[in-house]
Amino acid sequence: MPALIGVLVFAALPAVLASFDRGYFYQIANLALIFVLLSASMHLVTGVAGLLHLGHAAFYGVGAYTAALLTTKLGLGFTWTLPLSGLVAALVAFLVALPTMRLVSIYFAVATLAIGQMLYLVMLNWVEFTKGPNGIIVTKGLELFGVSLSGRLSTYYTVAVVVVLCVVAIGRLSHSYYGNALRSIREDDQCADAMGVRTVRLKMETFTLSAFFAGVAGSLWAHMTGYISPGDFKFSESILILAMVVVGGLGSLPGAIIGALLLILLPEGLRGLGDFRNIMVGAVMFLSILFLPKGLLGEVSALRLVRQQLGAAWRRTDNGIGIGWR
Amino acid sequence: MFDPYYLQQLAIGLSLGMTYALMAIGFTLIFGVLNVVNFAHGEIYTLGAFAGLVLITAAAPPIAAVVFAALAIGAFAGFSLERLAFKPFRRFTDEASLKSRAMRESTLLSSLAVSIVVREALEIVFGSEMRSVPFEYLINTPVRVGPVILVTGDFIILGVAAAMLIGLQYLLTRTRIGLSIRAVSNNPLGAKYVGIDTDRTIIMTFVVGSMMGAAAGILVGLYYGAIFPAMGFVPGIKAFVAMVMGGLSSIPGAVICALILGISESMATTFVSSGWSDMVAYGFLILTLIFFPNGLFGAGRERV
Repeated sequence: MPALIGVLVFAALPAVLASFDRGYFYQIANLALIFVLLSASMHLVTGVAGLLHLGHAAFYGVGAYTAALLTTKLGLGFTWTLPLSGLVAALVAFLVALPTMRLVSIYFAVATLAIGQMLYLVMLNWVEFTKGPNGIIVTKGLELFGVSLSGRLSTYYTVAVVVVLCVVAIGRLSHSYYGNALRSIREDDQCADAMGVRTVRLKMETFTLSAFFAGVAGSLWAHMTGYISPGDFKFSESILILAMVVVGGLGSLPGAIIGALLLILLPEGLRGLGDFRNIMVGAVMFLSILFLPKGLLGEVSALRLVRQQLGAAWRRTDNGIGIGWR
Repeated sequence: MFDPYYLQQLAIGLSLGMTYALMAIGFTLIFGVLNVVNFAHGEIYTLGAFAGLVLITAAAPPIAAVVFAALAIGAFAGFSLERLAFKPFRRFTDEASLKSRAMRESTLLSSLAVSIVVREALEIVFGSEMRSVPFEYLINTPVRVGPVILVTGDFIILGVAAAMLIGLQYLLTRTRIGLSIRAVSNNPLGAKYVGIDTDRTIIMTFVVGSMMGAAAGILVGLYYGAIFPAMGFVPGIKAFVAMVMGGLSSIPGAVICALILGISESMATTFVSSGWSDMVAYGFLILTLIFFPNGLFGAGRERV
């Protein structure tokens, strides 16, 4: 299964894209990959750890603005901005998490909503620093140690490699004992705390990590599209990412990926509907909560799938009985 | 300190706070009864404003009729919202489901989804630019009161809000339906055992709360003269802030905190540009959640 996905992402899809050779398809593929990363990071914080996070797009924006400002003001290339935007986003998330991590469920959700809005207002109004609504034009494309990677195919490969590495990392995090601890926090954090799981510390770590990945996605977006503005990081984008995770199944990484692909590619496929894209997001989210509350690929099915396919990490005794993650 | 400019800002802040109070009451009522945040409340506000606008452009009636139309649309919208987004998640009435967090989360997400659908539908039907209200209907003819210049809108908003608050107080304390609302918000299972029809009570709560929200929408629309589909989002958040600040189940607390919020916001605009004035509300929210988790006036809550 991992071999199949690897072939699909790194060989089959680029071959298809190269054969059509239309810039627009490359854009869609890169957009879909970036949102796969965003929804995987959202899966980590909302699906696995149970922290309903309504401000994720703001950290995505922090990463993108970091990348853009580093490039335009300090002339740093992608090699530097990729890790730095992730680190800055993680730092901001850490500062945000310090006061808010003891809040539960709805209060935490609205606190993250407020934080997201505050960050958006800063991006919009602090014109001297972030150029406000005009946005920033990112002058350098993707490149690695001076080697320019801004051709269409090389852009695709760069984005694909970064996204796949990050998704594998998130996968290892969520399908391990660490992930089990996060799930226990999601189910009942008082109980987990009583059992010795360091609840607050784990919540903070998860929040910071997911913001790191969102920041990485932000720098990919900034260098790929060459122009960012505050409108890309509004509350509605957070809701889009949340909808992706919910539709795919809360707590399931393959589900989050499927949800991301669905919610990005479906509006493209139904281009004729034009303005109806946002209504569709809301309608799809509503219908999936109503009729498929466990999502398209629910958590239990996903865990079973992962154990079967990626069973290398699943330890077995000599007669084949599974006894836990390695 | 008694500079007429500050008095004026105070008056503006008071009327702004009154509209937030109307929103916050609806929010608090619904939260008290269902223990779930209604994300679509801001959209009810917008629907009220648009209903008034449509009536004005279609049939130019007197202002009172416009307000009544907004109330009616608000009541209907509240009813349909409850049936659509909240009722299907109450179909399981066993003990485990009632206390389950997943149930509450899915209700929250469904109201969020419905709010998105409604807002986008309004944008498609009416376009996303600001629509202006025809001149005769704007309630901002200035009125001189001593050293301060207020507008008629301030008085109208104050009057309507006061009337609605008094009406709500009457409803909650002197009528049977108000009694059942208070019973259900206190203890839903107990109210059911005693024979109160929880379903009807919840519908009634939604209707009353949405009427107040829609009234807030039309009043603000007529006051500022600008009506656009995204106008409900920020007041919805501010209503939530007022509710949390006031202590979650306390209506007078929510009203007082909404007034405080309105006044602080209008005072803040004297120092910073209006783009930043929304930060006041968000800042208050964060401060309240961290330092006053039970709100300023609320009874103790188990976990915040």
